[in-house]
Amino acid sequence: MIAMDGRSFKREIARRVFAFELNKATHKIESGDRAVQVLLPTGVSCNRVFIVGVLLDREETRPDSDFWKVRISDPTGVFRGFVGRFQPDALESLLKIEPPEIVAVVAKIRLFEGDTTTVVTIRPEVIIPVEREVRDYWVIETAKHTLERINRMRKGGNELVELAWQVYEPDLDYYEEKVKEAVRTLLDQHAMVESETEARESEEPEEVSEEEEKAKAEESEVESWEGEEELEGVEDIESVEREEDWELEDIDEFEFEEEEWDLRDILGE
Amino acid sequence: MGRIEELTEEVVRLFKNSGYEVDRRDVYNRLKLLIEEFKVPEDEAMRTVKNYLMKELDVSREQLIMESPLVKVADIKAPGQWVSLKAKVVQLWDSSSPNVSQVGLIGDETGIIKFVIWAKANKPQVEEGKCYLFANVVTDSFGGRMQVNVNRNSRIEEIDEDIQLPPKELEIVGALIAIQQNSGLIKRCKLCNRVLTKGVCPIHGQTESYDDLRVKGVIDDGENYYEVILNEENVRDLTGIGLEEAKEIAMENLDRTAVLSELKNRLLGRYYRLRGMRGQRYLLVSEIEFLKADVRKEGEEILGG
Repeated sequence: MIAMDGRSFKREIARRVFAFELNKATHKIESGDRAVQVLLPTGVSCNRVFIVGVLLDREETRPDSDFWKVRISDPTGVFRGFVGRFQPDALESLLKIEPPEIVAVVAKIRLFEGDTTTVVTIRPEVIIPVEREVRDYWVIETAKHTLERINRMRKGGNELVELAWQVYEPDLDYYEEKVKEAVRTLLDQHAMVESETEARESEEPEEVSEEEEKAKAEESEVESWEGEEELEGVEDIESVEREEDWELEDIDEFEFEEEEWDLRDILGE
Repeated sequence: MGRIEELTEEVVRLFKNSGYEVDRRDVYNRLKLLIEEFKVPEDEAMRTVKNYLMKELDVSREQLIMESPLVKVADIKAPGQWVSLKAKVVQLWDSSSPNVSQVGLIGDETGIIKFVIWAKANKPQVEEGKCYLFANVVTDSFGGRMQVNVNRNSRIEEIDEDIQLPPKELEIVGALIAIQQNSGLIKRCKLCNRVLTKGVCPIHGQTESYDDLRVKGVIDDGENYYEVILNEENVRDLTGIGLEEAKEIAMENLDRTAVLSELKNRLLGRYYRLRGMRGQRYLLVSEIEFLKADVRKEGEEILGG
């Protein structure tokens, strides 16, 4: 980490991970000096993610609670998360978005350990509408990163990889197939959009593809999310969150600590 | 060479570096007497002889340059250390203070650091791209970052070596995942160019200011992250919003932060290809553009592989 030489606080990398993989994560890694990490089934620790997908809906958990449940879809499944007033930027932009809409999301990961299941949710820090090209590249990038992780799992050797084998025993062929399927879906859509664009040049292809995307995501919804009820059952999810957020808020502030220095000169102005 | 001869050389060199000739035989005899006859520990003997010579020549301790250890940029971690560095002048900045003769960045293969040559140091000017031995400079910490100061007792010597800088330029493809505070339409102090916080300069208090546009943010490629600063030109190239447009936005909305919201909407969450140089903390961006990826080609590669 060149950027952080000599600094004690390291910013957490935003991992690229598909919904189907993240939703399988159940294992927390806690170590003294680092924020709590989630172990991904492909053997890396993860505390933050960067996602580009379709915001399917937003729903306030209770009227006037300012605590919103969101669902964001990628070609492999759905990320579930919450946006509250501890993420003021995300909350502000979320309220301006009319789903469905393609959004880029930077989020922290939370694990809720219920009695019977463990549920992964995301905590967006940034949620912002973006162009379709961004989503397309995200799928490619996330596919590459996931395949790399899968390869590292096959080679073995590193501590987290071994731990992931122990905890998840992932069927790597299945993972690889899911990733490729996501890429295939993308390329199919791409081809379709392109030919449509050619056919009716003046019209906007975007809306069509978004609708399709939504339909597709709804379909994958049928696979259903076992954890949903469990999560609803967590009565005071909000207060649990609140406590955790204070901690994280502090860390973030530290991360963003500003030491103003005159950089104009360096920048050659 | 015996131990006494070695120590003698050291003393002679020390005074010579500061421009004084001393009698080698005299030094030798004094050291020999103290160390061999009187069994005085070496360092005490050295100190005694140096003190004697300083008194003889009427030289103050400050005038006497102790040659400081040669270090690399990356070794500089604490303020107040006397060190020597072999480094290349990476960039010279305009100095606004009459106390400063030259200010800028120097670097070696381990890193880049800010340097200041005080006007009082009375040193010849260094030139960009040339390599020098910066002997006996003092490390300092300014605004949380290390720098080295060249003072009267320092010595700058041009050297005939081409010092490599850390991997000069980096090309990165990544997403802008955060825009930090003090981005957007900002005010800078007219005296020192620092960014004002709530209209106040950290050094000059309430001063005259001018507007500027910039984005401080984090580019993340899923493996590493880089803190970047985009200047007005970068921001304008990407968004079409330059300083003038930014001022208009602020005016229309009667709110300067409207500029930041607009920039966030246009820049956050997108992918970029950028080139830049590593600074101590920031990646100094030379070129940045929205990523134009051939998704079809890359996708087919993934499926084929």
